[in-house]
Amino acid sequence: MRLLSRVAERLYWMARYMERAEDTARLTQSYSHLYMDTPEGADLGWDVLVNILDGQPAFENRFRVYNEQNVLKFLISDEDNFASIRQSVRAARENVRTTRDVLPEAVWEHVNELYLYTKEHAETSIGRRNRHRFLDEVQGRCQIVAGLVLTTMCRDNAFRFMALGHLLERADMTTRVIDVGAGALLGSGRSNQTIDPLIWGSLLQSLSAMSTYRRNVGPLPEAAPAVEFIFKDPTLPRSLQFCLNSIRGELKQLKHNEQALKTLERARRRLKRFNPAQASWQELHQFIDDIQVDLYNLGENINQSWFLTDPA
Amino acid sequence: MNKSWQSYETGPYYDELVTEAGKPRVVARRAVNMLQSLSDEEMSARRTAAELAINDMGISFTVYSEGENIDRAWPFDIIPRIIKSKDWARVSKGLAQRTRALNCFIDDIYNKQKILKDGIVPAETVLESGNYKEQCAGMSPLYGAWAHVCGTDLVRDRDGKFYVLEDNLRVPSGVSYMLENREITKRVLPELFENYSIQPVDDYPSRLHSTLAALSPRKHRRPCIVVLTPGIYNSAYFEHSFLARGMGAELVEGSDLFVDDDDCLYMRTVDGAERVDVVYRRIDDDFLDPEVFNPKSMLGVPGIMRAWKAGHVAIANAPGSGVADDKVVYAFVPDMIRYYLNEKPAIDSVKTYLCMHEKDREYVLNNLDKLVVKPANESGGYGLLVGPHSTKAKRDQFAKLIEKNPRNYIAQPTLSLSTAPTYAGDRVEPRHLDLRPFILSSRETWVTPGGLTRVAMVKGSLVVNSSQGGGSKDTWIVEGSK
Repeated sequence: MRLLSRVAERLYWMARYMERAEDTARLTQSYSHLYMDTPEGADLGWDVLVNILDGQPAFENRFRVYNEQNVLKFLISDEDNFASIRQSVRAARENVRTTRDVLPEAVWEHVNELYLYTKEHAETSIGRRNRHRFLDEVQGRCQIVAGLVLTTMCRDNAFRFMALGHLLERADMTTRVIDVGAGALLGSGRSNQTIDPLIWGSLLQSLSAMSTYRRNVGPLPEAAPAVEFIFKDPTLPRSLQFCLNSIRGELKQLKHNEQALKTLERARRRLKRFNPAQASWQELHQFIDDIQVDLYNLGENINQSWFLTDPA
Repeated sequence: MNKSWQSYETGPYYDELVTEAGKPRVVARRAVNMLQSLSDEEMSARRTAAELAINDMGISFTVYSEGENIDRAWPFDIIPRIIKSKDWARVSKGLAQRTRALNCFIDDIYNKQKILKDGIVPAETVLESGNYKEQCAGMSPLYGAWAHVCGTDLVRDRDGKFYVLEDNLRVPSGVSYMLENREITKRVLPELFENYSIQPVDDYPSRLHSTLAALSPRKHRRPCIVVLTPGIYNSAYFEHSFLARGMGAELVEGSDLFVDDDDCLYMRTVDGAERVDVVYRRIDDDFLDPEVFNPKSMLGVPGIMRAWKAGHVAIANAPGSGVADDKVVYAFVPDMIRYYLNEKPAIDSVKTYLCMHEKDREYVLNNLDKLVVKPANESGGYGLLVGPHSTKAKRDQFAKLIEKNPRNYIAQPTLSLSTAPTYAGDRVEPRHLDLRPFILSSRETWVTPGGLTRVAMVKGSLVVNSSQGGGSKDTWIVEGSK
């Protein structure tokens, strides 16, 4: 099947935005739960969520204080924050709108419904009362679309570029969650270590990995095994290892893949060398920074190898 | 009978579903009875269901307002328009004949110009028109087909007869809404279909595909067909995407295509360049090729005309087809049918007075209060005089304009557009409508069964354009006996 470069690009971004909306919803939800579970005075702060998504400059342009109301508004409904759930869904829909001809028909209907849903409900879902339901709904609807793609699309290039978008975004989100979450919440100088398992539980939850962790590792989430699991388990769909392996599988089937594969292999080697059990917070942070650079470069490689960057 | 229908009264017009005596027409009886048997709540629930379906299916059109593009839900009236297949057969035959003659005309104009030499059509009205593209002279596309997709606007006058109002030969739109309207009716009024045998419309995309495939310069099993769109901000983008999907063709923008040194057209894919055989273009001639037409165009493809003239790619509709899509040329279509086909026109045009002819001009000047006067080269109702609704000052102004530049004006009698029951607010009332069928031409000619019915949702209004508050109806061609 032939696939236009422009269409490939839009499918890729559609997948990234859908993944972003879903991941942000899950992250926000598990963090909200964590917040309710922690004893008063634990002082978790809402800025963590903004930091994970690298949204500080955009946030501070709009708001003065990092309180629950502002942060949730920023993440859920803010029209000026292009990474808010509402705007991610809107961007995903724009990309589907221009690629409907290569997607199963139901994909458009579901993405469009999701768009209408977020448009109608985002504003009123910032408060705790409706928040849970809204975030649940967003995740569920995103998964319907992902499921549709998985069960109805031919494994052709169109599918491949969507898969790349999903995987790259997911890998990115996984590393962010660990980096900022662990760094800010578990870093040095904290007094109350009794809530650590709660926090690790929440981080695992935000990656849909809690129950799998319990079955595979044990009932009590602890720092090193949790990081090991989230980064290196090759069977967990949101682990870094799984994402990188799957990206490799997709890249292998495309022509002109040399640059992208090279960058990918660099990231895979880096991950192989990394040992969470022996790493300090500092080293963990450095590792994540390096991986983020790899992922960024991979995005650039994809852009240059297959999209419409050079009209000649 | 529910309240919504109780006071339905036809005006002094032909009503599509109800007779002057207030009884449903035979062909519409079962549908009208069924709709009247619904409770008022049920009527309104069906309309809400239609609105929801339209939203969910994402059927929209784009309007420009205050510098912004707004994606609006497609306006739809749930009561279908029903036409007897026997009546339609006549119309359909007339449309096929008319389109054949128009294609003969375009082919003639860009080649031998026999019709001009024989004095049937005055040469200067054709050759001096902005729609005549000299760059197309000497081309003879396959099967002599230039306007491969034609959208012809019809109206039904007081006598119940269909008249051609205009031929759209450039990039006519609306066909996707014809298909979606049927889909919506199936969803919200499924019971209506039980008692009718209705000609299906949903094979249009495959008909369009075979029409286009027949034009491919390379003879292989699956020619590469693309739909060329100006992009997401075009008001008909929904349709471009719809048709590409329906045909399994690629939806492309100008930047996806390029012409190489071999004068062939290619598209950029993730596997590299791939040759294109047929372009169903939905952008105007002027924007098609910056090398030949408007040099500032960002929408087109530099060199595409070279590729076309070299015979390496087919373009539908062929560049230059607009030469037959002109208000003055319109007046000569019946003559063309006699001239090229040696047949009698099977569908009527609206009587048209050409002010360039002295006798016509005299009649027009004496009857300005009864006529609609249109400038020959403007479209979209700009600079129009509607006699019966005009002031003395306005008529005097137009009289002066006509005398100063008679070639630039035509006049037609004011028509009474037919009406049909339309669910407006909480009651069913008559509203005016027109009809746009689509005619496909390449190896064969094919006419859609029915077409897109557009309806003026505002009481008494004759404006059916969706950008100005017009709506639409599902249009049924039904077998008489069942």
